[in-house]
Amino acid sequence: MSDSVSTATGSGATSGPQGSGTPPDRRDPGLDRGAVVLVTLGVGLDLLASRWLMDQVPHWLPPQASTAAPLVDDLFGLEVGIGCFLLLGCTAVMVWTLLFDRTGRYDRDDGEPIEGNLTLEITWTLIPLVLVLLIAWQAIRVNGQLASLGGKVRVAGAAEALRLVGLEGVEEIAAAGGAPGVDAAAGAAAPDHSSALRPAQAGSAAAIAQASERSTAALAAAQRSSPRAAAGATVASPPAGPPPAELGPVVVIARQWSWEFIYPNGVRSGELHLPLNRPVRLRLLSLDVLHGLSIPAFRLRQDVVPGSVIDYRLTPSREGRYRLRDSLFSGAYFAANQTDVVVESEEAFSHWLETALASPLVPNPNLASDLWEQRLRQGNRGWATVAPAAPPLVNAPLDATAPHAG
Amino acid sequence: MSTAPIRFDPRVLRAPHPVPGAPDNWRRFFTFNTDAKVIGIQYIALALLFLLVGGLLAMIMRGELLTPPADLIDPTVYNGLYTMHGTVMLFLFLFPILNGFNNLLIPPMIGAPDMAFPRLNALAFWMFPLFGVILMASFLVPGGPASSGWWAYPPLSTQNPLGLLVNGQFLWILAVAISGVSSILGAVNFCTTIMRMRAPGMGWFRLPIFCWTALAAQTIQLAGLPVLTAGAVMLLFDLSFGTSFFRPEGGGDPMLYQHFFWFYSHPAVYVMVLPVFGFFSEIFPVYARKPLFGYHVVAIASFGIVLLSLIVWVHHMFTSGTPQWMRHLFMVTTMLIAVPTGIKVFAWLATLWRGKLWLTTAMLFAMGGVFNFIFAGITGVMLATVPVDVHVGNTYFVVGHFHTVIFSTITFGVYAAIYHWFAKFTGRMLYEGLGKVHFLLTFLAAQLNFLPMHWAGLMGMPRRVAAYDPEFALANVLASLGAFLLGVATIPFLLNLVSSWVRGARAPANPWQAIGLEWLLPSPPPAENFEHDVPTVISAPYGYGLGHPLVADQERYEARLQEA
Amino acid sequence: MAESLLGGSTGPGSGGLPELAAGRHPEGPESRPDEPGGNSLGGHGGHGGHGGHNLTGFVIFLASESLIFAALFAAYIVFKRSSPLWLPPGVEGLEVREPLINTLVLVSSSGVAWLAERALHRRQLGRFRLWWLLTMAMGSWFVLGQAREWMGLPFGLADGVFGACFYLLTGFHGLHVISGVLLMALMLWRSFQPGNYDGGEAGVTAVGLFWHFVDVIWIVLFALLYLWQDR
Ligand code: HEM
Ligand SMILES: [Cu+2]
Repeated sequence: MSDSVSTATGSGATSGPQGSGTPPDRRDPGLDRGAVVLVTLGVGLDLLASRWLMDQVPHWLPPQASTAAPLVDDLFGLEVGIGCFLLLGCTAVMVWTLLFDRTGRYDRDDGEPIEGNLTLEITWTLIPLVLVLLIAWQAIRVNGQLASLGGKVRVAGAAEALRLVGLEGVEEIAAAGGAPGVDAAAGAAAPDHSSALRPAQAGSAAAIAQASERSTAALAAAQRSSPRAAAGATVASPPAGPPPAELGPVVVIARQWSWEFIYPNGVRSGELHLPLNRPVRLRLLSLDVLHGLSIPAFRLRQDVVPGSVIDYRLTPSREGRYRLRDSLFSGAYFAANQTDVVVESEEAFSHWLETALASPLVPNPNLASDLWEQRLRQGNRGWATVAPAAPPLVNAPLDATAPHAG
Repeated sequence: MSTAPIRFDPRVLRAPHPVPGAPDNWRRFFTFNTDAKVIGIQYIALALLFLLVGGLLAMIMRGELLTPPADLIDPTVYNGLYTMHGTVMLFLFLFPILNGFNNLLIPPMIGAPDMAFPRLNALAFWMFPLFGVILMASFLVPGGPASSGWWAYPPLSTQNPLGLLVNGQFLWILAVAISGVSSILGAVNFCTTIMRMRAPGMGWFRLPIFCWTALAAQTIQLAGLPVLTAGAVMLLFDLSFGTSFFRPEGGGDPMLYQHFFWFYSHPAVYVMVLPVFGFFSEIFPVYARKPLFGYHVVAIASFGIVLLSLIVWVHHMFTSGTPQWMRHLFMVTTMLIAVPTGIKVFAWLATLWRGKLWLTTAMLFAMGGVFNFIFAGITGVMLATVPVDVHVGNTYFVVGHFHTVIFSTITFGVYAAIYHWFAKFTGRMLYEGLGKVHFLLTFLAAQLNFLPMHWAGLMGMPRRVAAYDPEFALANVLASLGAFLLGVATIPFLLNLVSSWVRGARAPANPWQAIGLEWLLPSPPPAENFEHDVPTVISAPYGYGLGHPLVADQERYEARLQEA
Repeated sequence: MAESLLGGSTGPGSGGLPELAAGRHPEGPESRPDEPGGNSLGGHGGHGGHGGHNLTGFVIFLASESLIFAALFAAYIVFKRSSPLWLPPGVEGLEVREPLINTLVLVSSSGVAWLAERALHRRQLGRFRLWWLLTMAMGSWFVLGQAREWMGLPFGLADGVFGACFYLLTGFHGLHVISGVLLMALMLWRSFQPGNYDGGEAGVTAVGLFWHFVDVIWIVLFALLYLWQDR
């Protein structure tokens, strides 16, 4: 840096006003009263505009359907405000120079040879620094409040992941359901079929309950860094009684290209039903490639990683039907890999759970398989892909026609 | 040291590679020529060709996205196209074209006759057509090209549905690896040249900012590419030789690939943007007729960015199971990058302030680029904010963010550089009228193309989809219209390039009355630039309005230009 | 690769060397190329023979290359500490005795290479060739030993993440040893060309540097793979 100073002063000796430390005798002629008024006015307008833009933020976003949403939106709004203020400010400078500092067509004079200004440079180093630290601090607070990350346990492949959550049978079930010729009706009616499925399901509630305790312990141990999470994890989920603090774990299985949700009582579903205002713990696993669980109305997203079982917590806060999408590219029918989250009252939820428990397993409607069949019918043109996994067999299939709110 | 003015005769080449008839001999552009200026033009021309290829792929994609369902092309084809679009634009357009500018600008700017290792330089260039052809050939292999995105995350990228040894993904990894080797060779060359071959008197703080930023960017290449190479080798082994580096069944972990990939690929975005910061820093002083504001700080900030860029990569993995403390750490480091970056932006604005703005096409593109960059920097900070990223990550918001950087800033900067230095290196003037049409169309189309993407992302539209829910239709139609307009906008550009090079007005040595060693050379410069008469630099660059010469005996050099 | 680097330089090597640029360089118009501190341009228009550039380039390249190994080491450490599966079934661990002998040979070959360089520096060409040849022999011995070990192992490349790591790390390093031996052969052949060292010994210095680099990498590799076996 000493070199820089010597350069500046060295050349300054020969001509003109120099950078670091503007000479006091040659005050910037722009800094008169008019300029002060103008700048104040500009800053005021900029503030107003930024404030106005912050108010527009809700219009750009889906409804707020989880307890995370207001926190995230406020943080985003703050950034929109600050960002707008800076962008407009910088743009104003550029527009000003465009309007007032242009040269005539044949005028090739030089501008004022200002080489720098230490005060100014320190100011515009510090202001962004303070701003981003402020935002970061706020974000860390919000993250603490969300506490959505649960533990994570490494497993050697899909089979071990299923064993960890007590679902060894799930692959065979899927294979049986995916056999050619099985459709929704057959899944419900054919006796040989149900005999293949029933044992797996009958035993599953107990198996899942047992396994979920084991895996919860493992996942909680994996997350010792967050004591709050570990405390939450020990809460079991009794079938009846007063509303427990936490629902779950609901096992979420991602495949190429389908979603399957398995409740603690063994109910399998193609859409995710959640009771209003009750925390839920999701246990995410993938049977093939990376997927991402994303619910824009909840403002929440978590990757589903093969080789890991990951816990994730959230609390829905608004009734309705929202989109649940695959957010991490997973191959050919990635775009089709979406389903719905249904947030409903506690009563409606228990009713749904009971009805589902009594319902037979049927293949979940699956857009990817439909598209794949269509492609095969049309001569299998297109580039290479693996075939879609068989649609999961579920007690409560997705209602693909119901409209979603966000 | 001779005192009599020497006349340049471009035909007398002192390089060890005489090319008869240069510079009018176009054939040298198709040979293993070791002249950095020939190599630079080779890079730029071929890269522009691939810009058209990548643009064409984008047009087809945007055509598909005009309507919600995947009705124009099969989803697998869409996936292949978007993968190749990203790969072509990064590895066959941006990296090569910036290397082209390194070749053209570094030696003249520092008064060197050529690169430190000319043969290595040519070798690095000729790998570019090689991996370009390999990548293009992957369209023709059974099963189609790679289609797992430019990230090539396993296990998706190693699924190999047809089970063939030579498949699209295989060729993709091969091409990226060769590109990596080429870039490392290039980086060794550029760094050595800048460190060892500067003109007498050109200390570090008399080095033009472009050379600072080039050095910074190439440092990143040297630090990051080896890590990507390691990841790519493991990926190739998983794909082709049945290893389990990233396969959970064998005890591997797909997350490790992501770390390797982003350890390079985040800094890679700075490899692309740093030279463009250099372009801006070179161009603003010329057309504002003012010294670069805060030259020293702007120079040093480049290396601040280098250091920080190496420790932020996890912001691409906030939701992949990264523990909370790591998210927080990398959020803070990412946000800190805004500080050195902000220093540069404010310095450019202060350079404009009270200048005498000369609104050439180059200046317009530079100003437009800075405007877009401020916008993208702000969305970047939003993406760095963990809770916000949890919502908008992997949506079109990210697509909007990085296109605003990669197209609306970096490509704008590249256009600005072309308009600024075309005359110097071809000896012909570009036609300003067409240039301004090009700028206007490009600026408007870029906003129309990329702004609606942010909105779609906020609403929750995932990126990389071939089909989408109807609520995103409006944003996508707007974006598609913008994309098509952007395609139209390249027509005046190409017309301008071709017609100007063939029959444009002869360029004087210094058409923009700029200060810099390269402007003390004739247009186009002779093969070895200053040959044995390298000027001694006696002051810092960008001395507009200061009235002191850049080099000793400046009048002699200027007089020589008059004669030439 | 190293060949093109070593042979590539041209043009007058005018360079603000870092130490000249760091502030001691005379500022202002009094700086002239023929003054001390400025860069004299007279006298070397020649091509090639600019050892300074070549060595700079080569050191930069080596630094970059070392990061590939750093990445592979990091991968190995992460896998070893976190993988749910490690040694393939039936594998207890790696045999240490023979690799240890190999290691000793390779590490001492660095010393021999240094002797060779010193001999060259003293213009004792015969001795240089002798030591250089010995270094090559020791390197080749190492490669052969590595190959023998590979043949006898009960697991393969596709046997879990351990097998993959083992073969990738040792194989990649082995490639470097082989390149080192080939480069040394090249330097040996060149030493018979008259006037080869008129422009300096940058080639030999660079290859020597490369050899020490390969050695150091092996020491780390040996510690990671063979000494750190418990989990
Ligand atoms: C202040 C500066 C910047 C910040 C804070 C920033 C931050 C981020 C963050 C956090 C992401 C990850 C988003 C996600 O995937 O969820 C991202 C993505 C990206 N950024 Fe930036 N960014 C900045 C500037 C830049 C620059 C200068 C470039 C290019 C030269 C750039 C190019 C990209 C690209 C290409 C991606 C997406 C990569 C991909 O997912 O394919 N960004 N940025
Ligand atoms: Cu990044």
